[in-house]
Order: sequence, then structure tokens, then C-alpha cells
Amino acid sequence: LYLTKSEEKAVSGEHGRAVELAYRVLLAIGRLSNAEKLIPIKWAHVSGVSFLTIGDYGLDFLQSISKEKSAKFRVFTTVNPCGMDIENWDRLNIPADYAEKQLKIIGAYEKLGIASSFTCIPFESYKVPVRETHVSWAESSAAIYANSILDLRTNRESAVSALASALTGKTVYSDLHIDENRRPTMAIKVDLGRAIKGSVDYGILGYFAGKCTKGVIQFRGIPSTNGIDESKALCAALGTVGSTGMFTIGNSSNNLETIDFSKKDYEETFENISDSEKGEAVVFGCPQMTIEELYRLSKAVGDKKFKRKCVVFCSSKIYELAKTRGYAEAIEHAGAVFVRDSCADFTPLISSLKVDSVTTDSVKGAHYMKSVHGVKVALKNVESIIEENTA
Amino acid sequence: VKARNKSDALLSEGTIKARCIVEPQRRIIGEILFTSQPIAFLQGVDPETGVVSDKKHELYGKPFSGKILVFPNAIGSSVGAYVIYRLKKNHVGPKAMINQNSDIITASGCAISRIPLFDLADSDLGRLREMKYVELLKTGAIRSLAGTENI
Repeated sequence: LYLTKSEEKAVSGEHGRAVELAYRVLLAIGRLSNAEKLIPIKWAHVSGVSFLTIGDYGLDFLQSISKEKSAKFRVFTTVNPCGMDIENWDRLNIPADYAEKQLKIIGAYEKLGIASSFTCIPFESYKVPVRETHVSWAESSAAIYANSILDLRTNRESAVSALASALTGKTVYSDLHIDENRRPTMAIKVDLGRAIKGSVDYGILGYFAGKCTKGVIQFRGIPSTNGIDESKALCAALGTVGSTGMFTIGNSSNNLETIDFSKKDYEETFENISDSEKGEAVVFGCPQMTIEELYRLSKAVGDKKFKRKCVVFCSSKIYELAKTRGYAEAIEHAGAVFVRDSCADFTPLISSLKVDSVTTDSVKGAHYMKSVHGVKVALKNVESIIEENTA
Repeated sequence: VKARNKSDALLSEGTIKARCIVEPQRRIIGEILFTSQPIAFLQGVDPETGVVSDKKHELYGKPFSGKILVFPNAIGSSVGAYVIYRLKKNHVGPKAMINQNSDIITASGCAISRIPLFDLADSDLGRLREMKYVELLKTGAIRSLAGTENI
């Protein structure tokens, strides 16, 4: 692995211990992937923000890094959702000792320098750089979205490697940063005997594809342009299982190994995820809701009221926007509760709802809420959820 | 002189070439703690005591402290990197680690904890099973010191 003079100095500790450790992480990963060099990035997106995921161990490390004067994020850095609504945690049944630790994690990141929103869809709130720009994004759903929809260049980074990128402004030049590694190596041929549509369909497809493939996937038989909600659902489900970091949509003539995704595969995958007919509460926003989804939700509820608890996850930035446009008020008027800057899966909130089952339109959400909170999940599209849960 | 040459030859037979993923500051001598099973650092290891806490794991209850931990690779959550850091901070971590096909969890965890990490890639991890004490060099060489089939 070739290092420039200034990189070598940083590795030897000239810019302080935090930067040195960050370079050591990049070096180790570079050696692992036989990379030839490090390259500059324009944007780091860091995961590992919820206390429910990183715990005392992560908090410990972040505090030791942020204590250092010389430790500052050197590029534009966004962070994943945390584990609670930062302003309303006490009204939302979050235990005080948990909140205290969560606030310490946030404090450490803020000291290092982050954008204001805690979000898993950073491309929704911040200006996306031109195509082919190298970035370093953790959060699998966002990294897959960056490569596949935005045509940015990133690997699926981990909490630690994206943090190292933020501290150095560099990443390892390997895998999906290199053009020749961005060609599909496997194809999934979709034929459901009907049109594929909505976040549930795309989520099921992603879950199926993630489980049976690795490397870059080419989807065949689906429209080349999808709604942002559909793309988001596909990316999130793909990232939940399996290791792929990118897909393409199309029908290249290459002789790729092809797997069929039939009506039967769809039904089997669906039954594997959805293990309840009905949920006692409704959860929207895994990944967090976009402004367009909030608009549609506000129209769909109209003058009706939710019959069951309904929680809606979005970033504070999108919430503020939704407020100025009247969508937030309409949704709150229907009885739903907004949880801002938090992750639907990794927050004690879901456990504190004290329900045995939830309804959601998210395959990723279903996967994690089942495993993290032990609830049963009814997977339904947004229209049916509104129909069955409002009056 | 003759005896020394002989022992050098024996040593070179017991030498394995590895890649340094996190390089040691100086040479390291230590006792091997071997498993052919992957390790899940998050939820499979107790970072306060420095032992494998998963009862189904063949290293269950065996302390890492002061040992050279040999395992194929890490599995599970990438938060495992922070568990490796905590092991080191609690002074209950291994002296060094050797993997078969190292991964981002172990590599980033060892990097932030300054725990040397070697990766075998081409040769078989099983060769280390019979070795008791080894020496790790900055060049990536792993030399058996005693207790191998060669001595």
C-alpha cells in the first residue's frame, strides 16, 4: 500500500493520536483488500450512533477520540440516526440512564463536527455530489443507494472505517471504488406475473436477492426508474441480509449466472418475514421517511384517525420541512407520533410500546424489530395499513 | 556453531509466512490459543474478563490475556471492533491475533487497539494448532519456538 509523505507523517502520529489511529484503520483495511493506495473522499457517513448498537464499548472509544483537540472531521460528515428522539425522549418512555449515554455519544460526534440531522437517508437532506464522486458511507442501505441510484463510489463501510474516513478525509481505493469492479456478476430475473410495485414488493425482492447473491447484482424485469420509496426499500432489504454493495437495473447481453425470482419465491420470502396477520401498533420509517412519503401519508390519512398507536420515524430536518408544508400537522392530527432523528429498529421505544406485534411496510424494519425487540410483524403496503388502522 | 545451524534449520521448517495487517512494534513471543471456529466478538466475548462467553464455543472460558489468539475470522456485528478495543483497555486482550481470512471487524478492532494482526491467506491455519509458543516478526514471519512436530 503506497502512502504519500503527508499520510506517512500522519501514521507516525504527527497530527495527534486520533488521526494516527484513523490512518491505522485505513492501513489495516487497505492491506486486507490488497489496495494500492488511499484516495480523498468528499463525504463520510458514519454509523454506530445508537447506544443500543455500540453500547458502552463504542461510547468509550468515541469519547477517547473526541477528547483530543486535534481530532476533527476533515470532510463533510453525516451520521446515522441515534437511539431516541433527542428532544422528546422523556415523553417517549426512554429510560434516563439510557438517554444519558445516548447524549454522550451525540456529544462526542458533535465535538468532532457533524451535520445537524441524524439520518439513514443522508441523500434526502443534503446536496448530493456529482456522479462518480468518491464517498465513504457506512449504513448498508445508504451505501447501496449511493452506488446504485446516485452513481457515487463507496464501499459498504463499517462504523469504525467510516469514522476513520471522516477523521482523515480518505478511504481505501478498493472494490467498488474501482470501475471494473462495478460490473454485475450475477443477475436476478424478476417475473411475478404482475407488476412489481411499492415498498413491500421491492423490500421482498431485496431480501431474496441479498440472501442468494454476493457481488454486484443486475436486476432484470423491473422498471428502470422507481420511486424513491421503492429504491430505498430495495436497498435497505439488500443490506439487511448478504454482502452486496451495488446493483444495476437492465438487461445487458452478458452471460451472467441468472437466478429467477418467481411468484412462489415472493410468497415464500414474504411468509418468512411476515409472521402476523395484524399488528397492535403501526411503525413507519425504516429507513426514515422522505418528504414525499410524508406528503403521501398525510393525504392518505386525510380526516381519519389512527385506531392504534402509530409512530413515524424521520429526521428532524425532514420533520421541519414537513411542518412548513402542513404534512406533519395532518399526520399528527390523525394521532400519529413523530420520532425524530431516531432509528426505528435500534431504539428502546419499540419495546416500550409494550405490544407483541407491529405492522410496517418495511422489510428491513420487520427483520430487525423481530430480532431486536422480539415482536411479531405484519408486513403490509402503506395503503392497506391506512385502511385497516384508521377510522 | 553446528548446533546453532541445526536449530536454525529446524526453525525455518517451522516458519509460516503471513501478511501483517496490523504490524507489531517489535517481535512478539507468546503462547498460542487456537480455535478453528470463528469468533463473534459482540455477544460472544466478555470484554470485562477477556474470555469467550459463548458456551457452545470451543474456547469457552479460556482467557485471552497474554496469548496469541488464533482463529479463522470474526463473525457478527461490526461493533465487535469496539469489543476488541475494550479488551485491550481492560488489559485482558490477547498479545496478538492470527487469522486465516481476516475481516474488517478484526482488522479495524486490532488497528484501534494496537493489537498486532497477522493474516495467513495462503497457508493453512491448522499448522498453528500443534505449535505451543511462536515468535511473530515485523516481516510477517511466524516461527515456531517449541512443541511443534518439527522439534
